[in-house]
Amino acid sequence: MQKAESVLGISKGKYSIAGLNVGMILREGGIIEKQAKEYLCEFEGDPQLVVGLDDEYLTAKNKIAPNLSRLECEYMWTGEQFCTKLLAFDGFMLHASAVVYENKAYLFSAPSGTGKSTHTTLWRKVFGEDKTFILNDDKPVIRLEGEQIIVYGTPWSGKTDWNKNVGVPLQGICFLQRSKDNWIEPISAKDAAFGILNQTIRPQDSGSMSKLLELLDRLLQKATAYKMGCNMEDEAAITAYRGMNP
Amino acid sequence: MKIKADYMLRSVAGQNVVVPIGSAALDFNGMINLNESGAFLWRAMAEDVTEQALVDALLAEYDVNPEVAKADVGAFIKKMREANLIQE
Repeated sequence: MQKAESVLGISKGKYSIAGLNVGMILREGGIIEKQAKEYLCEFEGDPQLVVGLDDEYLTAKNKIAPNLSRLECEYMWTGEQFCTKLLAFDGFMLHASAVVYENKAYLFSAPSGTGKSTHTTLWRKVFGEDKTFILNDDKPVIRLEGEQIIVYGTPWSGKTDWNKNVGVPLQGICFLQRSKDNWIEPISAKDAAFGILNQTIRPQDSGSMSKLLELLDRLLQKATAYKMGCNMEDEAAITAYRGMNP
Repeated sequence: MKIKADYMLRSVAGQNVVVPIGSAALDFNGMINLNESGAFLWRAMAEDVTEQALVDALLAEYDVNPEVAKADVGAFIKKMREANLIQE
């Protein structure tokens, strides 16, 4: 298996991701090369950000995560690389499913298996498939652009490949948990900061970590975060929508 | 004693947040929230200090009596030791 993959061609492409000109050097036919096709884009001059992992790096990562295939490793660690480099452009990734309705992005974050996708799929059913879309089902990007907070789809969208290459203003971030009844409440900026730090890729070097904390500080001066208990009834989507549009 | 180098204290949303960086992040993926005097002591422990020096620093900064300052410093150091954040 590995032998076959190692002879795969390398694709060098120009992409537009999260509003940035990105150059990516990827293994042809790999997960990320396939998922990123929608993001291909011509631009003049040098890319603002370059993503690409050499064989040596992938082999080392594959040793840490032997359960993953080599191409799954490429998918994972290009995501990490993008996320880390994105900090220089005032952006970071949040582990969340992001649904768009009325041109506002609603982010639902939770540990894997809680039901993020289930909840955003419910939004589509309740508010209409034609009026809603999934911006990114696993790792949307949040960027601070002047006074605005914009959420972008990225090709790193987890198992579902639900993502769109657009930027939409953030309406709110909601931390989900399962519950018998549906309820939602705003949380303090402190709890929001802790929640986000638990659901983002934490950089290991101090400069990047310092930048991430600075971004969170700026974000939480403007954005509101919530926590919600939800079930799988239609009412869950309505409770979330009402709660996040006080 | 001093705080281990691979932790970072920053103000986020009005809170003093401590996060691990580098190899410490592999062992400990949590966060610590410090109150104002906790953050003050943390900063003072960036350099090698004695417990008495911390008490003196606290007395110079805050309007507290020496017994309270000594007890506070003792409690803080105990917590930091338990969390394995101190290099002796």
